[in-house]
Amino acid sequence: MATLNVNGVQREVEASPDTPLLYVLRNDLQLIGPQFGCGLAQCGACAVLIDGKEARSCVTALSDVAAHQEITTLEGLPARWAKQKGLSADEAKSALHPVQQAWIEEQTPHCGFCQNGMMIKATELLESNPNPTVAQIKDAFTNSGPSPNLCRCGTYTAIIEAVQHAATIMAKGR
Amino acid sequence: MASISEKPMDVFGATLSRRHFLKAGGILAVGFSVAGPELLTAGTSQRTTMKNSLDPTLPSSWIEIHPDNTILIRTGKNDFGQSTTFTAYRQIVADELSVPFEAITTVIAGDTDKTPDGSGAFDFLGGGMPNIRKAAAYTHQALLDLASERLGVPKSKLAVKDGIVSGGGKSVSYGDLVKDQQLKLTIPVKGSLTSISGLTIEGNPPMKPVSEYTVIGKSFKNSVTSSKVAAKETWATDVRLPGMLHARVVHPKTLGSTLVSAGKLDQAKFPNSQVIVKGNLVGVVASSEWEAIQAADQVAKDTKWTDWKGLPGNAKLYQQLRKQSDWTAAPVQKSDDTKGSPAAVLASAHKKHSATYELPYMKHAPIGPTMALADVQADGTVHIYTHNQNPQALRGEIAKMLHTTPDQVIVHAYPGPGHYGRSNGGNAGAEDEAVLLSQAVGKPVRVQWMRADDMQWSTQSPAAFSDIQIALDDNHKIVAYQADHYMPAMQDDRPVGAVLAGLPTMSAPDVHSGGATSTVNEIQDPWIYTSVPNVLERGHGTFQVGQKASPIAVGLRDHSMRTPVQYQQNYPRELAMNEAAALAGVDAIQFRIDNARTGNKKTDSAKAERLIGVLNSVRDASGWDTRPSPHSGAVSTGPQPVRGRGVSSLLRNGTYWACVCHIAVTPDSGVIKVEKYTIAVDPGIIVNPLQLKRQVQGGAVMGISHALLEEVLFDESGVTQYDWNSYPILTMADIPEIKVELINNPKVGSYGGGSEAANALAAPAIAAALHDATGKILRRLPLKPEYVKAMLST
Ligand code: FES
Ligand code: FES
Repeated sequence: MATLNVNGVQREVEASPDTPLLYVLRNDLQLIGPQFGCGLAQCGACAVLIDGKEARSCVTALSDVAAHQEITTLEGLPARWAKQKGLSADEAKSALHPVQQAWIEEQTPHCGFCQNGMMIKATELLESNPNPTVAQIKDAFTNSGPSPNLCRCGTYTAIIEAVQHAATIMAKGR
Repeated sequence: MASISEKPMDVFGATLSRRHFLKAGGILAVGFSVAGPELLTAGTSQRTTMKNSLDPTLPSSWIEIHPDNTILIRTGKNDFGQSTTFTAYRQIVADELSVPFEAITTVIAGDTDKTPDGSGAFDFLGGGMPNIRKAAAYTHQALLDLASERLGVPKSKLAVKDGIVSGGGKSVSYGDLVKDQQLKLTIPVKGSLTSISGLTIEGNPPMKPVSEYTVIGKSFKNSVTSSKVAAKETWATDVRLPGMLHARVVHPKTLGSTLVSAGKLDQAKFPNSQVIVKGNLVGVVASSEWEAIQAADQVAKDTKWTDWKGLPGNAKLYQQLRKQSDWTAAPVQKSDDTKGSPAAVLASAHKKHSATYELPYMKHAPIGPTMALADVQADGTVHIYTHNQNPQALRGEIAKMLHTTPDQVIVHAYPGPGHYGRSNGGNAGAEDEAVLLSQAVGKPVRVQWMRADDMQWSTQSPAAFSDIQIALDDNHKIVAYQADHYMPAMQDDRPVGAVLAGLPTMSAPDVHSGGATSTVNEIQDPWIYTSVPNVLERGHGTFQVGQKASPIAVGLRDHSMRTPVQYQQNYPRELAMNEAAALAGVDAIQFRIDNARTGNKKTDSAKAERLIGVLNSVRDASGWDTRPSPHSGAVSTGPQPVRGRGVSSLLRNGTYWACVCHIAVTPDSGVIKVEKYTIAVDPGIIVNPLQLKRQVQGGAVMGISHALLEEVLFDESGVTQYDWNSYPILTMADIPEIKVELINNPKVGSYGGGSEAANALAAPAIAAALHDATGKILRRLPLKPEYVKAMLST
């Protein structure tokens, strides 16, 4: 039995310690934001935040994550934002994370299968750099993780626009 | 329930029948009458209802108008990221019915038991006449007939706004018209539900005039995007059934290996796993996904296969394609634009361009490998939960494999990664394997391919080569154009698991297979340089490489990919056009315009006008400097980047495209960086500008990726790439500034497809830009550093 801290909740899981976190999240905890894209840390589809840093859940063993570490999946982004901004429970319920809002406003996804990882990467970036330039965005999505975040549908332009849009929403604080 | 029937009413060839119900309720549902072979009882004209399908003779199928004025639409076309079913289709229906976009509250797409028409996730706008538009037009007429009767006002005096019909000082809402009645509109349909193109609505109901569109032309958002972004959408990958097992497939060692012996499972290590063998199909099922993966790895290591070396390997591909392929496997095709006698003109021309162009196999490479969950039940009913571009075709394929009928098979459609054509014939790889494994264990089984399976066992976009000849006159105009395009069969829709298991499938592509799955290589790149007097374009087809030699009939299986066939024909034509312009000493955009124009504005064809429109637009938007290529400062050596620009154009599905790429290339390394990509698109009427812009941007990125990076590498046994490092695609850091010019052209009177073709324009434009920058030409894709460097140093 292992204990995970996912999206602010302690979860008990029964899985062998070498099980990749991705399968634990999807199959045991029904957290379906992260997707299986390669299983090789080469695409980013499975990304989650672990203590605010993007991690590839497909190559992160269950035993690699300590009980005190905070895992945030796509499902947990709204609560993460609500907590950071001190929103009331009511406000938090209806609010999406600014990154998610921007992704909708800009109509960024095509198939959307890679976009979990893209939104996780955007959140990581904006938490450390609230106003990134296009060059910084390109660098973050290509060089900061274990591999570039890949999108086969070619939505990179829309992602850049959405990251900048999210930055303006975050600057406004809502 | 008591009801009163009335006599049916004719609506432009459709039939409206109804019953007044004495209780509240009511609906106007559009069904259809079918003349498709599989829905007819053999030898009679009696229609039968296929089980687990929408009953073709009962209300239901396309559009439902509800008493509360909400509307539901159904389509067999499943969304793969194009957004069309959730945006353009709603807009089209809203305009035909004169209701607001928001009135269409529900879109049901793809499920074989809940949608009427089949066909695939391609050509959504159907040449401006998608099924859903005609269904809406018929529905509109039926509603007007009802309103006319109800209000006692002639139909011609009625007007509709926001779903309210008014005339003669009276009005009634659509909802009130259908209240307390059960209305059935039966419309004529032809085709075959489980064929690649499904059913098509017949007849010519009156359509709303373009000038009255109010919903088409606006940037509505895609409702599914919101739920995907919020992690609220159920993807195919998320579906779980009680008692479900996870599976992985151990695919053969080569594309021609047969099974010698399946590996023995280490039962102590993997107590909840089981190996299933059916012919050459080896699967491992387990209660947990992680155990299935590990057990399959262990079994794979211990499984013995025969060796096979029946492929040419990359290095010899084009040589073998030309010399050893059977080009009599299909009759030579000629385009409709054939005119004059190019051979004679070419023979006597003193200025002539003549060259061969080659382009490689490419992978669709969905960002998620194919997966499917199948549940073969004790009574023989098969449920498949998956993400497929053509669920009705899959249904037919699975029925064939199991020696059963399509009515026993239900495909449930869910979102998933884009396939770019790979599953438009009904399968992407995992579906049939999941069915066979579920049948074997009597439980629902979820098959997920790993990245390597998806790289090595999926189909690919076929390699091709073309011989192009262009003769010029003394006025620098083209007097003759001749193209011979060679390509193995484009589309193999045999489910690979069925092939491995030795079960029935459609035949491998040959001259007798229908349509896209045939060896026939049709000319699919419409000729646009309309003033050229002598034109001959021929298509030569053959069998897939290695398929006949493979003991398991596999080899390099092909499948249409975004802008199929046309991609293979347009790249050589457009690169040759740039070379011919250079030979003529004329600017490459001006050269295209000159060869489209008749010289007299009045006699220019509408085709020429639209082509010239996109060329002018892309010239202005890209900051194109008008001059011949190559650039006067062209350099093919050295460590400093040199710059150049090239152009391409294309006509597909009623849409005109022109593209300019500005590049920098470093001769010493061969590295090309696309710095600016400008594209102009004239689809006629633009249905949804925002969604179109996003689709074009995406296609641009995919096209640059094809042009610079993508090539399937294979040895004599199979594909040697197995992950994203060995088959790289473009990253965000590599994208240029992308500029999209949308040209709304309502006088065309219709909308053309815009989601697809942008991927085809980059390759010829970049290759031309390389020539412009260096003075040297590479007539082979991809333009990867190794090849560019080698070309520049010769
Ligand atoms: S699935 Fe984890 S990086 Fe690709
Ligand atoms: S949106 Fe389809 S892979 Fe990125």
